[in-house]
Amino acid sequence: MLTFTLRRLSLFIFTMLVLTLLSFSLSFLFPGDTVINHSGQINASTTELAHLNQVYQMDKNIFHQYLAYLSHILNGDFGQSMASQSPISNEIRKLLPATIELSLVALLIAMLVGIPLGFIAAIKHNKTSDNVILSLAMLGYSIPVFWLGLLAILVFSIGLGWLPSAGQISLLFEIEFVTGIQFFDILLSDSPYKWQAFRDASAHMILPACVVALAPATIFIRLSRASMIEVLAASYIRAARAKGLSFQQIIFRHAIRNALIQIIRHVGLQFANLVTIAMVTEVIFSWPGIGRWLIDSIYQRDYTAIQSGLLVLSCFIFIVHILTDFIYAALNPLARGNKHGS
Amino acid sequence: MNLLDIRNLSIELDTPSGRVLAVDRVSLSIKEGEVRGLVGESGSGKSLLAQAIIGVLEDKWHVHADRFHWRGIDLLRLSIDERKALLCRDIAMIFQEPMSCLDPTTLIGEQLSEAINTSQLTGYFWQRKKQRKEAVIKLLHKVGIKKHDQCINSYPHQLTEAICQRVMIAIALAGRPILLIADEPTAAMESTTQGQIFRLLANLNQLKNMSILLISHDLENLTHWTNTITVMYSGQFVEAGSTEQIFNKPMHPYTRALVDSSTKANLQLPSKSRLMTLPGSIPVLQHLPIGCRLGPRCPRAQQSCVSAPKVSNFHGHKVSCHFPLLREPGKKESIKHKTVKGKR
Repeated sequence: MLTFTLRRLSLFIFTMLVLTLLSFSLSFLFPGDTVINHSGQINASTTELAHLNQVYQMDKNIFHQYLAYLSHILNGDFGQSMASQSPISNEIRKLLPATIELSLVALLIAMLVGIPLGFIAAIKHNKTSDNVILSLAMLGYSIPVFWLGLLAILVFSIGLGWLPSAGQISLLFEIEFVTGIQFFDILLSDSPYKWQAFRDASAHMILPACVVALAPATIFIRLSRASMIEVLAASYIRAARAKGLSFQQIIFRHAIRNALIQIIRHVGLQFANLVTIAMVTEVIFSWPGIGRWLIDSIYQRDYTAIQSGLLVLSCFIFIVHILTDFIYAALNPLARGNKHGS
Repeated sequence: MNLLDIRNLSIELDTPSGRVLAVDRVSLSIKEGEVRGLVGESGSGKSLLAQAIIGVLEDKWHVHADRFHWRGIDLLRLSIDERKALLCRDIAMIFQEPMSCLDPTTLIGEQLSEAINTSQLTGYFWQRKKQRKEAVIKLLHKVGIKKHDQCINSYPHQLTEAICQRVMIAIALAGRPILLIADEPTAAMESTTQGQIFRLLANLNQLKNMSILLISHDLENLTHWTNTITVMYSGQFVEAGSTEQIFNKPMHPYTRALVDSSTKANLQLPSKSRLMTLPGSIPVLQHLPIGCRLGPRCPRAQQSCVSAPKVSNFHGHKVSCHFPLLREPGKKESIKHKTVKGKR
């Protein structure tokens, strides 16, 4: 387990190094002065500029420049946003938790809906329910997310008036910023209207989370169907049938566990896809997350923000990847190694 | 009385080019307490037959039988659920490649304990767990695994093939079966461990009076352990009889070839000479010959072999051939007219 952890850690460190290299090179590729792209201080005076040049070691060779950039990032200094002239680290601190919250809730919905549906389709292989589920999955996968978001707002917010169309929580509630994840903050606050706020935040969450969850859910349906069909054809399932176990016992004791293990690996991969969808959805639902901020900064040509936003988002996705690897290892005895005999 | 009596069992497979008769009207009977061998090349439908008996074939296979009796009960008259309940209670099966037949993510102890029927446990539900564990340990001891604690807490991939096969046998024994179907239990095992597994099966047969249907492609090895043998070729019944009859006086050209291809029966053969084999190889399922499927490869084949031969019985030695190899000349008259005509 220790070697497993160390290997994942070294992988993490080297991937992050490559990512910083990429974001470092972006400063040279973007138009404008490299130092200003690094720091984001567009209105710097001559003395400030000289100071920045010294801090980012622009007079030395490119390797020293990279080291200086790296040390800034490791100290949590991403520079200033060119648009708002406020430190980017503060903005990320404020915005990233909202995206994490949205994408994790969406991932949960996608898994809770997609995986059982896929299992049902696999068990009823080549029957009507299988075909219905598969064609629904195909349909859901083909719907573009921005169109679906607008449609959902049109139907559920404007037409039926059930759910709010924008924002994370109603402006009536004043929730102190602690973790940034809205649900935790609400539970931590001592406002007398805590539960109303909680209900309001949930109502705000439902539409964007479902819109984000749709495409990954359809992928999970296909993945879980394929892996369940494979597991059901395995010889240990036949042996379990010969043992005299009932169909339910076979499914719940043997098939689901083995099928889930194969799916868990793909969850990490799908998460990157899900975050991309979440970025688009944040714009539609005015969700105060990092995706909307990143797209805004692309419009405003806020190069510093683009660089650091990319770095932070990819770091987040990579951490989720590593976490799913750990969950996979915990669930699958074969991945844990330590074999005796044979 | 016959324990198991199957008459004319056929198994068909749906393929894009129509149905293929994979197993063609095979009969099989097993007496109480006997070890019956089922011999055939790979692809001759022995495993299919075994899986059809226990009812674990996939849906794409279609099984028909003229008669299917289990201890005098006509199983064809029962509903599928009743049949399955009855067979699962009395028949157990062990498979080839034991490693892949154990759930890779479940502990051995768990897989064993779920095979133990609740009705075997006496006592209240709070005692059940302890009793289950004791029963599991007892089963492991029965199949010769002494380090039961280590075994219970292992996953299948942590054990060797031979121990996995012992665990499979233990799982099969958990239901206290009357018949054990062993489908190539020692495939891909070393010969020492092979011997251990066969000895274990022989012990179970003698001590518990458990009947065993032993499926193998190795006729020579099988003769040490069986009372009676059934030979199959390409999904057709070839010959059945006692082990001595089959091994010493084979009547079917195919059985003759099988026996000749083993070194033990050919001790008189000079060293470094070639063993006798049939030309060609077993036909693929898409291109089965009509009539007797051995026809194209058979050294004694004649025109009448294009129609399937009927089974003829010589003192319990059944053979399905138009031109059986007969030693005693007096027997010639008892064979059907066709045979007399075609003989030499």
